[in-house]
Amino acid sequence: MRLEHQFTVPAPIDVVWPALMEPERVAPCMPGATLTGVDGQTFTGNVKVKLGPVTLLYKGSGEFAETDEQAHRTVIKASGKDTRGNGTASATVSVQLSEAGESTNVAVETDLSVTGRPAQFGRGLISEVSGRIIGEFASCLGTRLASEQAGNEQEEAVVQEGGATAQEDVPAQAAPEKPPQHLRAVPPRPEAEPIDLLGTAGLPVLKRVAPLALALAVLLIVVRYWRNR
Amino acid sequence: MIPSAFDYVAPSTVEEAVEALASGGEDVKVMAGGQSLIPVLRLRLAAPSLVVDLSNLEELSGVHDDGDSLLIGAMTTHYEVQRDHLIREHAALIAEATETVADPQVRHRGTFGGSIAHADPAGDLLAPVLALDATMIIQGPNGRREVPAAEFFVDYFTTALAPDELLIEVRVPKRTGWGAHYEKFNRVAQAWSIVAVAAAVNVSGGQIVEARVGLTNMGPTPVRAHAVEQALVGQPATAEVINAAAAHAAEGTSPSSDGNADQEYREHLARVLTGRALNAAVVA
Repeated sequence: MRLEHQFTVPAPIDVVWPALMEPERVAPCMPGATLTGVDGQTFTGNVKVKLGPVTLLYKGSGEFAETDEQAHRTVIKASGKDTRGNGTASATVSVQLSEAGESTNVAVETDLSVTGRPAQFGRGLISEVSGRIIGEFASCLGTRLASEQAGNEQEEAVVQEGGATAQEDVPAQAAPEKPPQHLRAVPPRPEAEPIDLLGTAGLPVLKRVAPLALALAVLLIVVRYWRNR
Repeated sequence: MIPSAFDYVAPSTVEEAVEALASGGEDVKVMAGGQSLIPVLRLRLAAPSLVVDLSNLEELSGVHDDGDSLLIGAMTTHYEVQRDHLIREHAALIAEATETVADPQVRHRGTFGGSIAHADPAGDLLAPVLALDATMIIQGPNGRREVPAAEFFVDYFTTALAPDELLIEVRVPKRTGWGAHYEKFNRVAQAWSIVAVAAAVNVSGGQIVEARVGLTNMGPTPVRAHAVEQALVGQPATAEVINAAAAHAAEGTSPSSDGNADQEYREHLARVLTGRALNAAVVA
């Protein structure tokens, strides 16, 4: 799925470009994202996506795959895995800056693919929602860069968001890792989640086994009583 | 198909339920009939830390006459709604739409309020509730508040409800004697609506006095087809008038494209189904 966003930041290109190169400044704009580490050109983090009752937590990493300072163009590649085994998400985001007087035009092109159960959930809604997330990211980035620039000018950032267009050249929901009808009974537990043995297995097992044990005991007593007669 | 572990409470009063929600933090989830929540829990697409089950809240079940309007308790099941004589008489559109929800098993467990609070854009009760100008009665830690349906549905699966608030009742203004019909298009019997149209018409002496049309799954929230409604007012209730008005059905909508239908097809469906729904409603 391809998504295109365009906006204008009221700041010169020399200010916008370095800001864009720092994950710490860009990451807070991604709705639900937390940056957990930055190491040169690569970074790691989480993105939490909430859609009604569904919550997905993608953990993953990203890198500035291509950076052309002369052309003011960068390509960020990021991919992540849902911590509960609900598939993967990956995105290639190309950002192209161009000078427009005192302002900077930003064109963001995203190639997004979501696999696994979320791709099926909600009859294709996930594409709509991810498009919106990227849109929010783009407009936040614009506002943030603008307000950094505005500094003591105290002016509200004016961000003109070009119409977001989503063309599904690759039908995201048609390419799942495996059909959801053949789910494994228990997806593997993520390491990050603390395992509470009593909470997860101990008590329910006890509850299920207890009546059976009681019934067996009663049966045993009855049988003994019978034999003893 | 086994959900992640979660805590479970089944409070017996609304106040207790609201308290439980407040204590549960961000990952708390309300369960009414569980017909949407249980599947996502079992698929592990949702993993709340706490589930607050409302099934003991008998006070939230049933339909009451309240003068000019009906009060429908949030925990009233679809089955109860579809058989309720007050709803049949004063809000027939809701009964018509409820009959089309999923299958009899789901209708026996699923609830009116649960369906509305879930706010699935393909849910069948949202458009009727919007078309009839219903009001959502919400209880939270700071007491009750009322939100009109037009402001209640915010986005995909998102409503004006805060995480610590409960939808407890829906007030539906009485529209006694109106013709009503819910026209649903889906490919197999239990599937979600690809598009559906809720129409209620007040016809007097062969003239359309007022018309209300709500569209299901034509955007992230239910939408009113205002252009259609306006084109009908004061006109004779004939098929020609209705079909001409129905041509406006997709105006101002932005339906999504997915594996079931693309945007243009949904717009086409909206026009065709609006015509069918209105023609059936004026006869009803």
